[in-house]
Amino acid sequence: MISSIVLTTGLLLVLVGLWGLLTQRNILRITIGFSLMGTGTHIVIVAIGYVRNGTAPIIDRSLDMAGAASRVVDPIPAALVVTAIVIGMAVTAVMLAFAIRLYDSKRTLSIDAFTESKW
Amino acid sequence: MMELIGSILVLLGAIFHFSAGLGMLRMPDAYTRMQAGTKASTLGNTLVLAGLVFYHPAWGMKLLIIVYFVLMTNPVSSHALARAAHSIRLPMAGDTGIDALRDREQKSGGGT
Amino acid sequence: MIRRLSVAVAIAAFGLVFLSLAVGYTEQVSLRPLAESYVRLVPQELGAQNVITGILLTFRAFDTLGEVAVLFMVAASVGLVLGPTQPLSAEAREEVAVKARPSSEIVRSGAEILAPLIAIFAAYIIMNGHLSAGGGFQGGAVIASGVLLMLLAYPRYRLALDFLSITESVAGVLFVLAGVAGLIFAGGFLDNRILPIGQFGALFSAGAIPVLSMLLGIKVGCELSVILDSFRP
Repeated sequence: MISSIVLTTGLLLVLVGLWGLLTQRNILRITIGFSLMGTGTHIVIVAIGYVRNGTAPIIDRSLDMAGAASRVVDPIPAALVVTAIVIGMAVTAVMLAFAIRLYDSKRTLSIDAFTESKW
Repeated sequence: MMELIGSILVLLGAIFHFSAGLGMLRMPDAYTRMQAGTKASTLGNTLVLAGLVFYHPAWGMKLLIIVYFVLMTNPVSSHALARAAHSIRLPMAGDTGIDALRDREQKSGGGT
Repeated sequence: MIRRLSVAVAIAAFGLVFLSLAVGYTEQVSLRPLAESYVRLVPQELGAQNVITGILLTFRAFDTLGEVAVLFMVAASVGLVLGPTQPLSAEAREEVAVKARPSSEIVRSGAEILAPLIAIFAAYIIMNGHLSAGGGFQGGAVIASGVLLMLLAYPRYRLALDFLSITESVAGVLFVLAGVAGLIFAGGFLDNRILPIGQFGALFSAGAIPVLSMLLGIKVGCELSVILDSFRP
């Protein structure tokens, strides 16, 4: 039940990010759309790894080694998402750098002003 | 009983967060949007963490430290953002009457 | 008109695919075999309490190495796109720094309190990667946020870019050398059993995982600081 709600929220975020990416004219809003799509995908991946009544896969005082395998959530999607978050942030940094250079060349942030690469 | 109080506090915190988002959409210019976002979301954070204290009384000290950290960082960052926005002269909403920072800068001899 | 129609069609098509995903999803009741073997093997063979850090730094350490390479490439490309067209001399940089607007007192006081706390917190997260939630990447991001706070509070703060790039490269080389040492002395590339496993739950346990976390945290922190510094005018 909980992971269904989280999964639906993540998929909705991906849809909202995709809509913003396709319809907005301001470069910074397009960048935010990319970031939203990334965040939504990370949420979906983590939600798929949920095991009913499971807890975090950290074996300390409250969770002993023997019974751990039956009471933790799946650790593999979480490990994949750690990598994906860092890469998503790095891609956002490159997009912002490009936005700064585009603004320097034409003094406007609307992508309708950059028509040279349109066929 | 304790869980009921905790749940009510968390719900209040969620309502304040929602009002922060709504304020950021509906306010007329950048300064009022920053004010809505910071104040309401800081209070929402504090209420949610306070509600969590009622669920797990053993975590009280750690949650207090987190609340202190949020109170230290959220207003400071919003203050820095607002001063940067003022220095590049973002336009204010039409019926803004007083601009205290501009008056102080003019009095101290034309900009810093 | 055609554009709005095609956007609507695209969103509707994706929406239908996501709807079928969300409807056909059922929660797992037990772990899949690969996940169960990881949860069993990480405390037993690697001696790490945090299963996710054990996976990231030993079983799937090659992906971590690839991600380190991607971060380095991004730092280089941001420096290329945002760098000056000809490199500035020291006097020109000093002139730009003098004209910067001084920060307000609130930000300076906040930075005085917060910067040491952030540094301690980052070190704690990096060193406790194998005991509780944390690890190299998370700690490196917290270091970069501390550097950002100093950049905002003191506009004449100059990062020593040469020192940072040398540190970053040395940390990366040491990471790969630790991997090759794993090939020579233990089971495979980036195996963590080159150092003794130690007692389960102690700070210096789980073989080479604390060392790898430290190298990763230093590298990520330096790289993100260099990226942040290239955004300044």
